[in-house]
Amino acid sequence: MDDSLTISPPKERCASCFTEIVTDDVFCTNCGYPLKGTEDEQRKFIGENEVTGIYYKEYYDKVRKAGNSLYYLAGFALLGAIISFFMKQDDPNVLAYTLPSLILAVLFLVLGGYSRKKPLACIVSGLVLYLIVQILLIIDNPVNIASGIIIKIVIIGYLINGIKSALELEKFKKEHNLKD
Amino acid sequence: MLTEEIELPETKACIQCAALLNTGSKFCNSCGAKQSTSEVKVADQWNLLKQAAVFYGLYLLLCCLSKFTDAFQEMAWYLVLEVAGILLTIVFFAINWSENKALLKWPGFSLQKLSAYCGIAMAGAFLVHYSVNWLNVTIFSQEEHLFNASRDNYYAMFLLVFFTAVTPALFEELGFRGYLLQSLLKVSDTNQAVYISAFLFAIIHLSFISLFWLIPFALFIGYVRVRENTLWYGIFFHFCFNLTACLFELLQQPR
Repeated sequence: MDDSLTISPPKERCASCFTEIVTDDVFCTNCGYPLKGTEDEQRKFIGENEVTGIYYKEYYDKVRKAGNSLYYLAGFALLGAIISFFMKQDDPNVLAYTLPSLILAVLFLVLGGYSRKKPLACIVSGLVLYLIVQILLIIDNPVNIASGIIIKIVIIGYLINGIKSALELEKFKKEHNLKD
Repeated sequence: MLTEEIELPETKACIQCAALLNTGSKFCNSCGAKQSTSEVKVADQWNLLKQAAVFYGLYLLLCCLSKFTDAFQEMAWYLVLEVAGILLTIVFFAINWSENKALLKWPGFSLQKLSAYCGIAMAGAFLVHYSVNWLNVTIFSQEEHLFNASRDNYYAMFLLVFFTAVTPALFEELGFRGYLLQSLLKVSDTNQAVYISAFLFAIIHLSFISLFWLIPFALFIGYVRVRENTLWYGIFFHFCFNLTACLFELLQQPR
């Protein structure tokens, strides 16, 4: 049997969340761990916490996937910028063609980079930006709706899942006093 | 002695067993009850986001119609779109009227603050006007105008000022800093909510080059709105900014 579960919790810190505690406390004021409870109660509490930990990991993974799709979009936009640069190389207005794609690439890169720290803001922004770009492409040429439609749906799916998980993640962090 | 009261750390009563707790406690130290009373459910937050998405989608549709379809370039149809946008904003603002009406109040009205914000807006408009001109000339080798102004007659000029300065200031603020930001504040922390509303506001203008000034502009108004807890400073800021930019266009055009 695991030793850490059988010995009584240390006097100064909670055995579950390691917050400092007062000796008289019956429950931890930060996480609700039964400091003076029976061994069974304490084990049950830790077990339940582990289950929420598994959920936490799941949400975290989904947020990470959404962040990765933002990186993917950044790469794709950069590729578009490079291709248009080489195609219009001799045009005096070459910047006018490449700059929008370049700005898009930078935006997606920044959003992807910050998606670990501020998941909700970055994924919502990324999704809306992506959708607007797609709408503009379709207005420009309606055939664009069909090109790479499966990958588009996959990306949008990842991003929407990411938003939902970001909500869960932030609630979880708030409840458990976690910082990033 | 009674007169020598010692100041205790701030306390609150446990919601279940009424034991005294430190204000920061999340659980009761004697009965273990959870102390957070107003817990927002993720499902509710998700619904708020979906509702905001409907608002934004409809708004985007109107923007695309006015920008990309020829039929709506005519004055009459343009007016129809304007009115549709205004109605859309009012409907969504009124959905949560009991909460949003507080934003229409103006607590702590201060003329100095108002003139300071208006001054910043005008200075910002100067800066943006010249940098946009510079960008357009160097990158696109052409002069582009923020607003397509016509000086044909005074009637048209009046309409131009009205539809570039008055209605956007009022209704974009109601929609984005009012309804949208208020919903987002319930979904996320202040910084993220202000940021999301600013980004959404900036990209709905459908111009990638303009993002460089639209995002700081919207962030500024967003923070002013959160700080002052009223929409009015933002509305005046937005009005002064658009008015300055619009006057620039009018003055620069040859007679």
